[in-house]
Formats: sequence, C-alpha cells, structure tokens
Amino acid sequence: MRAAGWFALVFGAAAAQVTVAPLFPVAGAVPELVLLTVCLAGAFSGPGPVMVLTPLGAVMLGMLSDRDPGLLLVAYLPVVVLGALLEDAPLPLGHAARTYGMTLGAGLAARTVLGVGAMVGGAPAAFGTLATAVLLPGLFVDMLVLTVCYVPLRLAGLEGGGFRLRRGRYVAGL
Amino acid sequence: MLTLNRYSWWLGAMVGLAILLGVAGQLGVLSPVQGVFLRVTGPVEGVLTGIFRPVAGVLSSVGEVDDLRAENARLRVENEGLRNELAQRQQDAQRVKELEAALGLAQGDTSQSRLAANVVHRDSSPFSDVITIDRGSNDGIVKGMVVTSTQGSLMGTVTRVTPTRSFVRLITDTRSNVRAAVLGGEGADGILRGNPGRTLTLDLAQGDIKVGDTIITAGLGGAFPYGIPIGTVSSVEGSTQDLFPKVTVEPMTRLGTATTVLVLMSFVPETLDTGAGR
Repeated sequence: MRAAGWFALVFGAAAAQVTVAPLFPVAGAVPELVLLTVCLAGAFSGPGPVMVLTPLGAVMLGMLSDRDPGLLLVAYLPVVVLGALLEDAPLPLGHAARTYGMTLGAGLAARTVLGVGAMVGGAPAAFGTLATAVLLPGLFVDMLVLTVCYVPLRLAGLEGGGFRLRRGRYVAGL
Repeated sequence: MLTLNRYSWWLGAMVGLAILLGVAGQLGVLSPVQGVFLRVTGPVEGVLTGIFRPVAGVLSSVGEVDDLRAENARLRVENEGLRNELAQRQQDAQRVKELEAALGLAQGDTSQSRLAANVVHRDSSPFSDVITIDRGSNDGIVKGMVVTSTQGSLMGTVTRVTPTRSFVRLITDTRSNVRAAVLGGEGADGILRGNPGRTLTLDLAQGDIKVGDTIITAGLGGAFPYGIPIGTVSSVEGSTQDLFPKVTVEPMTRLGTATTVLVLMSFVPETLDTGAGR
C-alpha cells in the first residue's frame, strides 16, 4: 500500500513536470518536480524510498518527455550521495538545513548533468548561459517549491528521519 | 565516508541501469513501452492540463496587461497594413489568373495536406523545448514531418513517434537547426538555431539583413519545404566589417502557449539529409 503511494507520488510529479510546471515559469525556469519529490522522500522517510524512486522517477519522466531516461537517472543520483554526506558531515546541521542543502546540491548537479548532456548532444557549449539562465533561476524555483512543500509538512507534525542506511530495513520499510 | 560506502553497490547498479537505458533508448527498444505508457497516462495528463492551463492563462494575463495593450495597438496598425496588402495581392492574383488563362497555362496543385493535433504536454528545460501531440503513427505521422502553428508558422519537426503520440522538437530547442532565408533577401540565408533561454539566432547569414525582415524556411537540405514563415528579425548586431552579423529572430507564433498545431502530411522529408532540423 505504501509502495503504491510512493509510485503515485512520483508519477504525479513526473506528469506535473510536463503538464503543470511549464505553465508557471519563473524567470524562464521551471522546478525539477521529480527531483524535489525524491529529496522530500529522502528527508522524511530516509534513503530506502529514494533508492527506488530515483530510477522510477527518471524512467517515468523520460517516458513522458523526450529526454533520455539514462541521463536523467545519472542526473538524479547525487540525491543519495548528498543525503549521506550531509548526515556524516561534522557540522551542526538541523533537519531543515540538511534538506535544503541536499536539494540545492542535487538540483545543481542534476541541471549541470542535463546541461552538459545537452551540449554533448549538439547544443551550443554555453557555460555562461548554463550558470545564469539555467542554474540560478532553476535553483531559486526549486527552493521556492521546496519551502512551499517542506514547511507545511513540518507544521503538520511530520518528523524528519535520518539518512543512514540500515541494512535490511529499507525493503520492509518501503 | 562509511555511510557513503554502503551505497556503492546501489550507485554501481544505477550507473549500469543508466547505461542500459541509454543504449535501449538509442536502439528504440523503449518505444513500444513508451507508447503503452503514454496511452495509459494520457487521461491523468489531460486532467492536470485541464485544471492548470486556465489558471496559468489568468495569471499570465494579469501580469501582461500593459504588454498586451501595447501589442494590441501595434497589431491593429499591422492588421490595417496587412489588409491593404491582402487587397493588393488579391488584385494581383486575379490578374495572374487572367494572364494564365490567356496563355493557356495549367495550374498545379499547391495545396498542403495538414493534420490538426492537440498539444498534450511540453518539456521545456532551458536546453530542450519539446512538445507532445496527441497524434502518432496510427494517424500517418512519421519521424521528420514538419509541424506548424494553426496560422502556418514553423514550430518544429517530429523527432519520435509512438502509435498515439508524437514528440515535436520546437525550433527554440538547442538541438534544432533550420536552413532559413530572408524573404526577398538576395542570398541572405543561414542556419536558424535555438539557444538556451528559447531564443533564435540566424547564424552564418550574409547580406543586407534589417530589423523587421521576415525569415522563412530556405528549403535547402530537404528537411523543410521552402517558404514556411518562421519569424521576424528583432536585432542585428555587429559592425559592417563583420563577416556574419549576429541576427536574433523573434518567432511569429508563441511557441510556449500553443494548444493546437498542424502537421504537414503531404511533405515527406528527405531521408538522406545531414540531420538538419532533427
């Protein structure tokens, strides 16, 4: 039942990415809704769901759009890595700081991978544009949408979980 | 680092899966699955679009009232000019018919068969601009077909086809190349490219190009028929000593808000092209 919920959530995010997000661009940028869903899943439910939702979201978005699902999967991989690194970092970071840090880093990495992938695929190598027209407005929109989702979830009483992988738990938890 | 090490097996598996997906995508193995997936998920997308498109339309209108007023005033003036031009063209056409009749020339069929399609969704990251339409190979669409707006302006080409859906790469996509020319310009042709941020530039164009000139498809390379309107020149930068000025083109149609498009069914693209426009 819980797995069906996660499936519906990531499918909803992928569908909204190609139907709703393009209707509300901010400075020409749209949020990466699948990535945000994966980050929020990681923040509140730990790494287990993230490890399943990352490939699932990439394949779904790739199917719905004309993007390469393999490239999308590579672009979304840093969510797990960043979540684990921030958990281990010797810094006094609270749950909100870790979530925002993970989302910011994952958004940066994903857009860079997708941008470089587009350049390799024939787009002009415009790194300046990548930074000013893609990364900055894109990350701003991501943070905006994250805040709109994260704050109500915390206010509703949802407690953030850790990002430490415990062997044998994530399968049962999903 | 200990925590990260625990994910190494998963990361390795995901990289392997990514490579597999990439290869499968290139080989077209995923296309049948994609066709089924798009058919199944179509109703959900339709509901989402139906709910949010009107909301976006209202928000967009509120934010653009001043711009729309100015545009309306400009279009009124332009409309008047075009009406006058149309009247002149109708007179010319009549005159040509009379002359053809007098000379006994047979008139060829210049009509284009077009298929109307609805835009079901759009993937618009800064480097890619792709729409999905609700027509596919079941309707006779093949890869490479040209897509225009309902008014006949160029929008893009079909890049992938499933039985019920087709993906259309818009001219503002950074991978798009269109051989284009200035209408009435002596030898002023070049390659129209999409840029990050959904702008268009006419590269490698020589000749006397001015702001306001109309850009059309050049018909070279076999990917597009000649004469489809694309846009107007919005700026020309560079000194007279520059070999190629930087020409920015404003599309004639609002690519981002189109809900209905037309597929040119009668134009079959050349198969032995160099990939232009794909």
